[in-house]
Amino acid sequence: MSSSFGQARVPWKRRLLLFLLWLLPWALAAAPAPDRPVVRLATTTSTDNSGLLRAILPAFEQASGYRVHVIAVGTGKALRMGRDGDVDLVLVHAREAEETFVAEGFGERRFQVMHNDFVLVGPPDDPARVADAPTVDEALARIARARTPFVSRGDDSGTHKKERALWRDAGIQPQGAWYLEAGQGMGRVLQMAGELGAYTLSDRGTWLAMKERLPLRLLFAGDPRLFNPYGVIAVNPKRHPNVNHSGALALIRWLIGPEGQERIGAFTLEGQPLFTPDADPAQLEALR
Amino acid sequence: MTDLAEATRHAFELLISGDADLWRIIAISFEVSGAAILIATPPAILTAFLLAYGRFPGRRLLISLFSTLLSVPAVVVGLTLYLLLSNAGPLGDWRLLFTQKAMILGQIVLAFPILVAMGHAALQSVDKRAWETARTLGASPARAFWTLLRESRFGLLAALLAAYGRIIAEVGASMMLGGNILGYTRNIPTAIALETSKGEFAQGIALGAILLLLAFTLNGLLHHVQGRGMARS
Amino acid sequence: MSPPLLEVRGLTMSHGRRPLLDALDLQLKAAGCTLLTGENGAGKSTLLRILAGLEKPKAGAFRLRQGPWRSWRRARKGLLRQVMYLHQQPWMFDGSVAWNLKFAIADRPARQRNRLVEEALEWVEMRPFRDTPARTLSGGERQRIALARAWLAAPALMLLDEPTANLDQASRRRTLALLERLRDQGIGLMVASHDPHHFEGLADRHLRLVAGRLEPRGTPAAGGRILPIQRGRA
Repeated sequence: MSSSFGQARVPWKRRLLLFLLWLLPWALAAAPAPDRPVVRLATTTSTDNSGLLRAILPAFEQASGYRVHVIAVGTGKALRMGRDGDVDLVLVHAREAEETFVAEGFGERRFQVMHNDFVLVGPPDDPARVADAPTVDEALARIARARTPFVSRGDDSGTHKKERALWRDAGIQPQGAWYLEAGQGMGRVLQMAGELGAYTLSDRGTWLAMKERLPLRLLFAGDPRLFNPYGVIAVNPKRHPNVNHSGALALIRWLIGPEGQERIGAFTLEGQPLFTPDADPAQLEALR
Repeated sequence: MTDLAEATRHAFELLISGDADLWRIIAISFEVSGAAILIATPPAILTAFLLAYGRFPGRRLLISLFSTLLSVPAVVVGLTLYLLLSNAGPLGDWRLLFTQKAMILGQIVLAFPILVAMGHAALQSVDKRAWETARTLGASPARAFWTLLRESRFGLLAALLAAYGRIIAEVGASMMLGGNILGYTRNIPTAIALETSKGEFAQGIALGAILLLLAFTLNGLLHHVQGRGMARS
Repeated sequence: MSPPLLEVRGLTMSHGRRPLLDALDLQLKAAGCTLLTGENGAGKSTLLRILAGLEKPKAGAFRLRQGPWRSWRRARKGLLRQVMYLHQQPWMFDGSVAWNLKFAIADRPARQRNRLVEEALEWVEMRPFRDTPARTLSGGERQRIALARAWLAAPALMLLDEPTANLDQASRRRTLALLERLRDQGIGLMVASHDPHHFEGLADRHLRLVAGRLEPRGTPAAGGRILPIQRGRA
């Protein structure tokens, strides 16, 4: 006399459907489209922040059919990502580290692409009298002597390495309450310097982008030792067979080829050119 | 403070101008976090149910564990998954790093403990008679389970909103796992981190305003839902 | 004499270290009404819950409709299907009265469900309560809806745990009347109560739970039969 209790067992087809439905959001999450293969480029934050890549890469993407994913991190991290094979190529400005990278077999070969320069900025009244220093060594020496505050990147970035090299070449060991190691990106460091009325070493690109908002002035520039060369290195496919090596080479070829070089030179920030293209044409031949 | 006022004004202009980059960032935020919540919720609720109604050794330990995981910093989750998904790591061949899928994974890991801990609390608070009545009236375990969910729906919804609130605003895991790639893995929190580091306060505030608006709405919903839940018991 | 629906042998149960049921035997038919009495804490509720498949005993063999003897675990599905347990204070789901009633007949087509709900409401004389939130009902009203729900589910055996304990006079009489109708419809009942006099007219058998065993008590219900019960093994 009892009624039929309960439901029939959920049929397996229904359960399968529910399972697939559950995974649908995962499947729908944007994946790099197979018809437009992705090239992953690791570069530094200052490079990315300058806007150069945003300006010139679309031309490459259109011509080649690749899509470039730019991941901007500190120099150290960018090289590490190349070492681990998480990206296909790296574009950084830390000559020594780049050469080590290649020497250790993580990259095939370094190609020179362009350079920009570093500038010394500081409080408009220039208490350390950096503006009329004849060389960058003397400029830094004056800052150290006057013990005026100086904000360092302190984050092992390309800029930071450059800064350390400059102190070293000037024969100065910067330490004391006036030397502040921020451990931050260039933008933040400039803000800090602005707040504290301090000097700092900045790449010209970030400086140009931010100078309107900062109570600082460009005080010293032009010394060839402040030039900042950029190298691009494809990740070694022998180390990581699953990187997009052909995509990386295509991008490198474009960057050091005539079109890339021209676009790099044509790029301006706040009306001023920022990068000087200086790829070696002989290297381009080597890639053909 | 004119800087702040200026930035806020610029923020509104950006919002209503329909700036393509901005809206793409917002869209990615919702897509990624939405997917993460949708994927994390069913297994989390099932786990919560097993913890509430199951009887197995180590049950209490597991409950403690999930409550503890509520406090794990997002960046720790991000770093751990990064090491796993990196090409140099064990799951490198999946090539998930720097994709939206990796971000979703990170957010699933962040949302899961919240869903389990709060879901468990919600299910626990339902009188055991509910389950028994359902079963004795002839419901299968599956149907009794659904009934239980229905009985605790306000508490479960609160769990969902809390978890969603956490992941939509987190930056630690999204940044590490997504790589902050413009147009692909840049979501609201990672964009804010980037823009403010560049000193682009206007953009940062615009995005922050949206996030706050969302958080406000979520919290409003949460309180409304909790109030309703209490009134009906 | 119709065969028993449910037979139990050697049922043993304890709460923690306190023994509750001691190798108890029982037979229940899908007809008539058995009154179960005993001290508070004697184990009446526990016994009912075990029989309904809601609580696991330490030991015991079960047999449904003269089928094979099974452990509780194996028999559980059948118990859940054939035997219904009503809590002392019945649980109302978070929804309307109609929703609660429909729960018992979820596998029927929609049109039938609505009609059956109307019939059930009629049966307990609660027509106007159809769309009322069930949680707002009084104790007596909840009891009636619970019985209407049970009536819809139509189990073979219904076990009621102190069904009139918290009710006022009028509600108690109502409940009794409904139970009589259920019994007359052919649903077997077992009522646990510590107030036997109230159910004397309803029950045709009276068992008392003492020291973990069931002892028959005489009950002069008109026309009722006292079924002999085996004592547990000494």
